[in-house]
Amino acid sequence: MIRPDFDSPRLSTYGYTAFVVLFLLLPIVLGTIVAFSSGDRLEFPLPGFSLRWFHEAWRNVVFVDGLWNSLIIAVCSAALATIAGTGAAIALNHYRFKGHSVVQLAVMLPVSLPGIVLGLGLLFILSPYGMRPGKIAAIFGHATVSIPYVVAMVTAALSNYDRALERASLNLGVSPARTFFKITLPLIRGGVIAGAISAFLISLDNVSLSLFITRGDTLPLRLMQQLLFYADPSIAAMATILLALSLGLLIMMLPMVIWRRSR
Amino acid sequence: MRLGRYAPWLWLFPAGALLIPFFLIPLCVVVRDSFYREDPVRFLIPDFTFANYARVLGDRYYLTVFGNTLLIALVISVIALIIAVPFAQYVARSTGKQRALLLWIIYLPLYVSVIMRAFGWMVITADSGLINSTLMSLRLIGQPIKLLFEVEGMTLAMLHRYLPLMIIPIVTTLQKLDRDLLKASANLGGSRWYGWRRIVLPMAIPGMVGGTQLVFAGVLSDYVLPSLTGTTRFPMVAPVIFYEAATNGAWATASAMGTLVLVVVALFLIISSLAVRRLMPWQRAVQ
Repeated sequence: MIRPDFDSPRLSTYGYTAFVVLFLLLPIVLGTIVAFSSGDRLEFPLPGFSLRWFHEAWRNVVFVDGLWNSLIIAVCSAALATIAGTGAAIALNHYRFKGHSVVQLAVMLPVSLPGIVLGLGLLFILSPYGMRPGKIAAIFGHATVSIPYVVAMVTAALSNYDRALERASLNLGVSPARTFFKITLPLIRGGVIAGAISAFLISLDNVSLSLFITRGDTLPLRLMQQLLFYADPSIAAMATILLALSLGLLIMMLPMVIWRRSR
Repeated sequence: MRLGRYAPWLWLFPAGALLIPFFLIPLCVVVRDSFYREDPVRFLIPDFTFANYARVLGDRYYLTVFGNTLLIALVISVIALIIAVPFAQYVARSTGKQRALLLWIIYLPLYVSVIMRAFGWMVITADSGLINSTLMSLRLIGQPIKLLFEVEGMTLAMLHRYLPLMIIPIVTTLQKLDRDLLKASANLGGSRWYGWRRIVLPMAIPGMVGGTQLVFAGVLSDYVLPSLTGTTRFPMVAPVIFYEAATNGAWATASAMGTLVLVVVALFLIISSLAVRRLMPWQRAVQ
């Protein structure tokens, strides 16, 4: 006889799950709440609610300027990573060629190798390349670490993609480039956009490379400087603005992920 | 098609154009520079010397730095494994809206700025923060417990940062678990614990190894959390590498440390992948 509870969760399981969920969410929720504090210090419970720290953060030239720098770097590096990652995913998915597994390993390697060492290496090669620490260097650096995420998401989108459509288009005399833009790209659009958003958010949050290859003027570096010096709720306010941005993008991504799964 | 043979390389061209100059070469340069001679004016002088390694591996301070970092990486990996396996099991067998919500909660922290997460932990662990004010208002403690700017606070914040990276691969592997196996085990008189130990746990191993690899590489290169929530009395490797390279101008020393970190991570990746293959021959058949 089968015991009906052979793998059904028990009450303790629900409690445990709730505990882990709380652990994952608590710091994010608290950080957001503190942004609405009316007090001058980092304290909890809050003395009262106000929007003054948002006002303060938005008036702070150092933060706003950093936000612009970060946004420029994030948009450009996400564009580069998306092109490179999509191409690599298509090459790995469509073709069997010599060195396939080496290439596969190589494009995924930036995830598992320590970013701080790559940052150090980038610092060393900037001047031989005739580059200086700044936005351009950061764009290239951030793009490399985002490529694996784009590859992973586009590969997932390609897994239920029918190549026959592409062959049909080519056989009917449509050029490869037109075939790509008219057939392939629309079908894997969800994965490409999800990859681009991931790349954007990774760049926006990057510290270990930016430390070495920018002039300390990206938003995370400036927030960190401020946090090391004096932790006031304006940092939380700026981070909350960033969080709202990330969440907006994540919510955009959600329908695409669901759409992919339901197919 | 004439282009046929070259087509994959054409598709790979943009990735190569980025990864070769901005990933492969910089890492090779770090390894090369670790054998160069240090110079206060020109930073580096071409040479082939093991002096940097002798300095790094012979100095008590640098050894402490490596020891601290490896210890924290180990502690966080173990705690994350213990927390992640039962949680991932629950997520893997949940369905519908609940599953979507749980997955979203796991992924959410990854998309929140790490500075924000560090700030959140400061709010929790500060002297006037959540933990201390709660305990003090309950009159359980008279003095605030020092958590922030100590190893304990840093470990908590790092655990929070890397836990999702442990949960996600385990959820992915446990999704493939055929629940009929558990039913069969129960049917044949196996206890829940027996079924878990002999079916769930072995199936989760690839995910556990993958997660541990990510956690290890993450902790070894984490600069933000040791700087913001840790203490200089407990130095970690990433801030020390940055300090040596940027503030001290000791490029060769920084390179030697960076190369050692690379070697540790690479060895860990290789050994754990080999171990999975050895321990789990059925994985090979699947792939």
